[in-house]
Amino acid sequence: MKNDFSVEQIKSGFAESGYICNDNIAMTMFLAHQLEKPVMVEGPPGVGKTELAKATAQFLNWDLIRLQCYEGLDEAKALYEWKYGKQLLYTQVLKDKLGDLLKGAHGLAESIDRLHEFGDIFYSEQFLEPRPLLQALQAEQGTVLLIDEIDKADNEFESFLLEMLSDYQISIPEIGTIKARRHPIVFLTSNNTRELSDALKRRCLHLFIPFPDATLERSIIQSRVPGINDKLRQQLVGFVQEVRKLDLKKQPAISETIDWARTLLLLHSESLSPELVETTLNVLLKHEEDISNVKDDMRSLFNKLFKS
Amino acid sequence: MDRILVDFVKALRSNGVRISTSETLDAIHAVDLVGYGKRSQLKSALSLTLAKSEEEKSRFDSCFDQFFHFNSFEQFEQPAQKPPPKNPLQRIISLSSSNPANNNPAQAESPLGQMLMQGDSQALASAMANAASAANVRDIKVMTQKGLYGRRMMMAMGLEAMEQEMWASEASDDLQEQALARSLRDARERLREEVKHYVERQYLLQASGESRALRESVMRETSLENLREFKDVQNLVRKLAKKLVATHSRRRKVYQRGKLDVRNTIRRNIPYSGVLLETHWKTKRVDKPKVMAICDVSGSVSQYSRFLLMFLYSLTEVISNVRAFAFSSDLQEVTQWFESENIDTAINLTLDRIGGGSTDYGQSLQTFTDLCLNQIDHRTTVIMLGDARNNYGDARTELLQAIQSRARQLIWLNPESRLRWGSGDSEMKRYKPYCSWAEPCQSLNQLERFIGNLLRYNQ
Repeated sequence: MKNDFSVEQIKSGFAESGYICNDNIAMTMFLAHQLEKPVMVEGPPGVGKTELAKATAQFLNWDLIRLQCYEGLDEAKALYEWKYGKQLLYTQVLKDKLGDLLKGAHGLAESIDRLHEFGDIFYSEQFLEPRPLLQALQAEQGTVLLIDEIDKADNEFESFLLEMLSDYQISIPEIGTIKARRHPIVFLTSNNTRELSDALKRRCLHLFIPFPDATLERSIIQSRVPGINDKLRQQLVGFVQEVRKLDLKKQPAISETIDWARTLLLLHSESLSPELVETTLNVLLKHEEDISNVKDDMRSLFNKLFKS
Repeated sequence: MDRILVDFVKALRSNGVRISTSETLDAIHAVDLVGYGKRSQLKSALSLTLAKSEEEKSRFDSCFDQFFHFNSFEQFEQPAQKPPPKNPLQRIISLSSSNPANNNPAQAESPLGQMLMQGDSQALASAMANAASAANVRDIKVMTQKGLYGRRMMMAMGLEAMEQEMWASEASDDLQEQALARSLRDARERLREEVKHYVERQYLLQASGESRALRESVMRETSLENLREFKDVQNLVRKLAKKLVATHSRRRKVYQRGKLDVRNTIRRNIPYSGVLLETHWKTKRVDKPKVMAICDVSGSVSQYSRFLLMFLYSLTEVISNVRAFAFSSDLQEVTQWFESENIDTAINLTLDRIGGGSTDYGQSLQTFTDLCLNQIDHRTTVIMLGDARNNYGDARTELLQAIQSRARQLIWLNPESRLRWGSGDSEMKRYKPYCSWAEPCQSLNQLERFIGNLLRYNQ
């Protein structure tokens, strides 16, 4: 059974769970769901790439399985591992049984034939320890699989994902091919620290999330920090938008805007003043250089802000 | 409608967006779901399935706007209120209908004439699209074919019948008929304009990419001396540098036998109840190359130096640890300009401040040694770009030897061909023994091949 959602439904559903998105993002979700294609999400840090996966899981009421990538991540940690301890334990326990089984067998060949009758018991699914990717394939209910920061993983891992992403199946040498019971929705996020291979990109829908425009950012703040008054919200979003135009080491993202809004709310501020901004700027900017740059430009920023 | 999509994909490809067949199929499925109804939805659906990086997205946007320029989707949505004519076709029509001759009882009879006089913009748009496919406008290759294809399109739209009618009306004595002929003639001129624009747009979409590719392949083989004839060489140089770095920037591992990875080995051998059957070895990552490039910008190489600097600049943009030096009579480090200024300013600064003087390799090598001999280590590659023409000065080969003995490799790229090495005041023959390799470097292709090797073997 496949639920059908229109783009508008997705958008409003996301809004209910607190994720305000534009049409483009809603369209991505619509297509990902309909075409059953993985989604590659790129964009600067802090624009809500990971949040998108969470919001999707909440919207569809599916489980979210998250795989954080890092250098040296291999299939034993991402896909499956054999339960070696259990295997060892069982062989020890079953040692006595072995004698019973082989009773009456003459010669080595016959004994081995008898053993063959039992097949690969120790390499069956009972002894398989599923890791995130396998969990997502085995789940009865639909799942949202989030492969976070794929650009941090090695190239080998990227190629290893290809089978999973195009056919939703995985080959395990000892068992065979495991197919997905239900196709999960897969998100891959990337911060663009390195170029991903074309083969991987080709299999995915590609969504680029830029910094939001003022209107969108205001509604995001409204939904995330409901207590804040209109005037302050207007000012703070305007300020952040102006700051993004400066040449900074790290641009403030939505998550930082939200943090800043929460900070200002805690301080019971009614409106922005240069002193207030100066003392709380470290919430918004994460580099000493950037902070001093903005402090220098404070006057012109405020002029721009309050003229318009 | 799939045909349109395939054409669009072709246009995207010629604009440098890489699209595979399976992505085209995805796009077709996506469009089936979304429909052609809403322009913004269509755009984001296609953008999701076809453009796969930030750069491609921006190319996609401009291409989409050009390609679907004609099909004004908004009209389908709101047929009731027609906005003031933005669309060129509507402009034709509004002009025709404002023409007083239109109030005249005389009516055009040819299908094209009727269409133009009645102001049916939808019909006209689709007629134009049909005519374009009948005339195979998509196959346009070079600029000069524009007239030909325009004419063919007009014929396919039924121009002949309309012209017959026009001439017939002109010949008649009836005033009304003559007025009709006049307005038909006007309409024809406007149609011709529109068809011309249409063909031009098609040319820009479809063929400009192909002819650009041809141009680029010519540029790559052209000798560096003559390269300044080409205007867009800068883009090409940057593209080459980017490509090189994209291919080589991935950190690769070298499987080094010799050091056992104990942790991993024990872990991998648990299934054999701890008997070490499989061994695992430590791997070593390949370092990115550390490059010091020294570029001759003196009078004798003035034709080349701009391109060498351009390439050097592109390289510093993409590899983090490149130090660049330039010299004519004496040497100076230019890394700081290359890092902080844009390409034109950086190159002009270098050429103004350092370039143009008479060459002194001896002095320059001395300065280079003083500046950073102690920073050259076994990971550093030193590249010399120059013709080794030293105005019969002291060559100071011992300095080059000192550099070579410390560096991983010393590479000399000479813009002159091998035959001229050692002739006249060229010291190339004396420098050559101290170079790991010395290569002539006369075209962008050679330059690219060389840098490719440098990055590949620098392990």
